[in-house]
Amino acid sequence: MNRLNKLSRLLYCLILSNLLLIGCNSNEKTNLPEEQAPADDFSSWITISKSEELQLCERKEALHRAYLMNDEKAEGVNKIENLKIIAFQAYKLNDSGLFKKANKEAFEASVKIRDTLGIANAHWNYGAFYAEKEVYDSAYSHYGSALGYYQAIKNDHYSGKMLYNMAFIKGRLKDYTGSENLTSQAIVKYKQLNKYKSLYTSYNHLAILFKELEEYDRALDYNEEALSYLAYLDDKKTYYEGSLNNIGLIYHKQKNYERAIEYFNEALEKDSLKYKNIELYARLIDNRAHSKLLNNDTVHLLNEFNESLRIRDSLNNHAGITLSKLHLAEFYKKKNDTTNAIQFAEEAKYIAKERKNNRDYLAALKFLSKTDDQNANTYLNEFIDVNDSLQNVERKIRNIFTRIDLETDEYREEADRLFKQKVLILVVSLCLLLILSLLYFVNRQYSKSKELQFESEQQKANEQIYLLSLEQQAKLEEGKVQERNRISEELHDGVLGKLFGARVGLGFLNPNLDKGATQKYNLLIGELQVIEKEIRDISHELKNHDTYSSSVSFFNLVTKLIIDCSEIGGFEYRLTKDGAIFWEDVDEIVKANLYRIIQESLQNTIKFAKANEVLIDFSIQDGNLILTLVDNGVGFNTLKRKTGIGLKNMRSRAEKLNGEFTIESQPNKGTKTAIRIPINKEI
Amino acid sequence: MKQNYKVLLIEDHPLIAEAYRSALKFVSKEKEGVNFFIETANNCDDGYEKIKDASNKNGLDLIFLDIRLPPSKDSKVLSGEDLGIIVNKLLPDSKIIISTTFNDNYRIHSIFKSVNPDGFLIKNDITADEIIAAVKSVLFDPPYYSKSVIRLLRNEVSNDFLLDNIDRRLLYELSIGTKMKDLPSLLPLSIAGIEKRKRHLKEVFDVKKTDDKELITIAKEKGFI
Repeated sequence: MNRLNKLSRLLYCLILSNLLLIGCNSNEKTNLPEEQAPADDFSSWITISKSEELQLCERKEALHRAYLMNDEKAEGVNKIENLKIIAFQAYKLNDSGLFKKANKEAFEASVKIRDTLGIANAHWNYGAFYAEKEVYDSAYSHYGSALGYYQAIKNDHYSGKMLYNMAFIKGRLKDYTGSENLTSQAIVKYKQLNKYKSLYTSYNHLAILFKELEEYDRALDYNEEALSYLAYLDDKKTYYEGSLNNIGLIYHKQKNYERAIEYFNEALEKDSLKYKNIELYARLIDNRAHSKLLNNDTVHLLNEFNESLRIRDSLNNHAGITLSKLHLAEFYKKKNDTTNAIQFAEEAKYIAKERKNNRDYLAALKFLSKTDDQNANTYLNEFIDVNDSLQNVERKIRNIFTRIDLETDEYREEADRLFKQKVLILVVSLCLLLILSLLYFVNRQYSKSKELQFESEQQKANEQIYLLSLEQQAKLEEGKVQERNRISEELHDGVLGKLFGARVGLGFLNPNLDKGATQKYNLLIGELQVIEKEIRDISHELKNHDTYSSSVSFFNLVTKLIIDCSEIGGFEYRLTKDGAIFWEDVDEIVKANLYRIIQESLQNTIKFAKANEVLIDFSIQDGNLILTLVDNGVGFNTLKRKTGIGLKNMRSRAEKLNGEFTIESQPNKGTKTAIRIPINKEI
Repeated sequence: MKQNYKVLLIEDHPLIAEAYRSALKFVSKEKEGVNFFIETANNCDDGYEKIKDASNKNGLDLIFLDIRLPPSKDSKVLSGEDLGIIVNKLLPDSKIIISTTFNDNYRIHSIFKSVNPDGFLIKNDITADEIIAAVKSVLFDPPYYSKSVIRLLRNEVSNDFLLDNIDRRLLYELSIGTKMKDLPSLLPLSIAGIEKRKRHLKEVFDVKKTDDKELITIAKEKGFI
């Protein structure tokens, strides 16, 4: 029972592994949902959900429809693929409910069919989803899992992406060294694959990390590096300006405000930036204004700060608004307008707290504690409390990361195990297939050779039967001859002698009879003599007849065969033979084969030739026995029909006896078959 | 004229022996003073014994000799023919009447050659009267031959070709169906030799076919077998 279970499981695995292979192939495309072209209705709903002109709620509605459609109609791998598309789209449209549902289903289905790539993709989706929601520990954990699976299936590109995502989260949570480490790992992978855009973002990230670590020189180096990769990109978007902003910020941090302002100015040189990336534009303006402020250049600063704030307000960019307000507060403080300064700082603090923007929240508190002399202590205390609690949180999260990293390793091992299992299953199933096909092949060969063996055995048996029948015939003949001889001798020596004795005895009796009776008496004696003669003739006949026939029993068999065939085929026959052939001297095997050849040939004559006359001749020439069969039938083209099985058989029989087989025929001119077989005759 | 004749009947059929006795009795009745002292032997051994005895004593005047007889126990004397040869050797003066059912020419010919009897009777030809005539002829005016024998002799004389013993033997063996491969052990010839003789015989008898049967049929017609 157990074994049966195992067997069925193995079979299941075999089928699954096949499915998996197909699955893997199609999975290559999953992360490019645009390339998918599934069922009509489903794809049209998806297209609607992607069209950006529509309202968000309409797009969500369309995606829901697509989900329901897929749930009802699609099957198997196709369904999973669609689920992934839906999950990705739901993530983009920020539809948490649908995303969770679709991604969960996709994940479970992938686990069920052991699709490593599918599982990894689902984890990625989860990671992105939670990162968006700023649930960093969950996001980090899912990215970690995805990384494990991608590494197991040696997908370096996606592994790099996961590493980068994880590095990003760590950077967000101020684990700069950890983040640097992960980014470096990602960079190694990207470099192998020449992924320039990813390399750019990675180096950019490193630069930001080192800026935060206040290692400004290295940060600048990494920015340079990032820009060098940017050169390879065709579509540079506003990355260049972004990098300039970053460099500017570094100089700003170094209090080299003039350099900072140069970079910001360079970034702002092109008017097109306003349309391409208004957010960056606002940030640059704000940053430049801030640098100017710290450089004690306050000309037009209020306008610049206000423009930035206005843009950010219109974009609903809370982090930006917070920064702008903080900068404005600084500006007013510098202008000694404490009221405005405190108000802006209060507003910034409020938004930052609302949006859980801890960095700016702390900055606002710090600013307030220095500016609002009355409440300085309260702010300072709040600052310290928040800072402590934040540090605690960060520490905790870092601990979680450590745990997650460990788990990631475990996932990786698990994925490795899965992969190895898959490989094992593949290898085993291949081996099994090989063995099965080998077995099949061997079996076929065996049965083929068996068949051949059987055939040759049958042929042997046929010949044996022929020989036996010949022997039987000979024995029969012999018995007949013996019996005839016995009767003949009995008649000759016994009956005849006694009759003779009786007749002569009667002759000497010479009884005294009248004339008529005497005459009759003599007549009767004469009659007895005639009877004697008849008996003797019979006796001779008996002897002569059979002695002659017994010596040619093969010939008798052939004669009988020909008579039978002529009756079936409705043809006349003429059978002739050279008297110099001593059939009893001819090897039985030769005779057996000759018999078969004649049989085959006559069968051909009956079946195809439509002949009405057949000549069969046996002759001897230079120690060769020559059998000639001639018919006057329809004949055939010998060039066209070379390979008839009958002809082949005859030829092979003749060749087996070291003989020659020739056949001459032309359409409507009859057929002449000749066989020449050497027989050992000592002349 | 001699009056008393010592006669030996070598014949395995008592009926036939009785017939000979009747014939001899008839002759002695017909011819005054002619007496027959008759002894019988019914196999080769017996015959040989009697011939030997007679050769040591007074000899024999007339011997009736059947050809087919039970052979001697030591297989040295197989037939009446052999006994005839012995008689010719031991009792050269004795007269022999061969009496046989054989009527094939070859045997008759060979018996003539080996025994050269004074009388030759083919049992089927003869009647009571013929036996009497034969006895008288052989005793007083030999030889006496049966009709078939005379016919054979005439045939042989009239044929203008000559066959030697080996030819005759070959024809005979072929006629009784002796196998070709056994012939070299019966004839002083190789297979090739036999083939050659056969071809020669076919030429002599003007046989066109390669068939042996034809040859034998014609040889029979011509009285060689």
